[in-house]
Amino acid sequence: MAENDNASPRRGFLRRIWDGFWSPTGVLSTGFLLIAGFLGGILFWGGFHWSLELTNTEEFCTSCHTMETNLGEYRETIHYNNHSGVRAICSDCHVPHEWQYKMKAKIMAVKDVYHEVLGTISTPELYEERRLEMASAVWRKMKASDSRECRNCHAFEYMDFTLQETRAAENHQKAIDQGMTCIDCHQGIAHDLAPGYLEEYRHVVESLASASGIETGTTALAEVRAYLGERTE
Amino acid sequence: MLGILDLLGTIGGSILGLPGILGMALGMATRNWALAAGLGAAIGLLTPILLGGSHSTHVPITTIEYVVSVLIGTIAGLVGCAVRRKGATV
Repeated sequence: MAENDNASPRRGFLRRIWDGFWSPTGVLSTGFLLIAGFLGGILFWGGFHWSLELTNTEEFCTSCHTMETNLGEYRETIHYNNHSGVRAICSDCHVPHEWQYKMKAKIMAVKDVYHEVLGTISTPELYEERRLEMASAVWRKMKASDSRECRNCHAFEYMDFTLQETRAAENHQKAIDQGMTCIDCHQGIAHDLAPGYLEEYRHVVESLASASGIETGTTALAEVRAYLGERTE
Repeated sequence: MLGILDLLGTIGGSILGLPGILGMALGMATRNWALAAGLGAAIGLLTPILLGGSHSTHVPITTIEYVVSVLIGTIAGLVGCAVRRKGATV
């Protein structure tokens, strides 16, 4: 009894877990710990990657109520149904393939869940109010990355201009010559465009150019502005 | 708002990428704080050069990517070093 009286008070559960975590193991060999850690690492990483890929599916992206409008619009486009039977789903255009940029896109997509919960675009009217703002954010990202997600599938180098319509072939050649990028012309490729979209796109191009220190007189910017000007007229 | 999200995304991508994971692993290889931080910072500096930008486009890697990557690499190296000092006797 005297021994019990003198014993230090029993430490808390979390403290005991912490101490146990950092104590050398007396029953497991280094080899066992290495193999177990290796297997645990594979299981964890495999599970993580599998879960990540699940969030890239069309079913996952469109499981939110607010995605119904843009899903309907996308289903009317060539990226959904086409003669070749190749389909580009949401993640093909909105999630980069490179690991660090993919993780960045996933983290930034948390805002979609936030706005789904808040109901920011929960009605058609609210959606239309925000359409230009949402589109502008995507255009800005695509312009800044030289339309990286488009180039997951498309590349000027792979195009056979003899198989394209004359207008398309001419404009693609022009884009190569003048350093333009996919989104400079294809803003409404998968979703409807809001009124005033050309003015907003011009604003995006100019604000990016000024942010990156590109002079407004450079060839690429001047050509994009000229092209947007032609389309406005 | 998008600017903050962009920064948070860059930080998250670095933590789950080479600067975070290899930086911490290299930090765990030494008990020397400075060496651990240096190794982490080196990985942070190398990562955007090796894996940044894009395979198909010619997008310049931004300064903020380098800064975040080096910072995360350094912190990961220091955390790895702390794990080594706390959890190993050698």
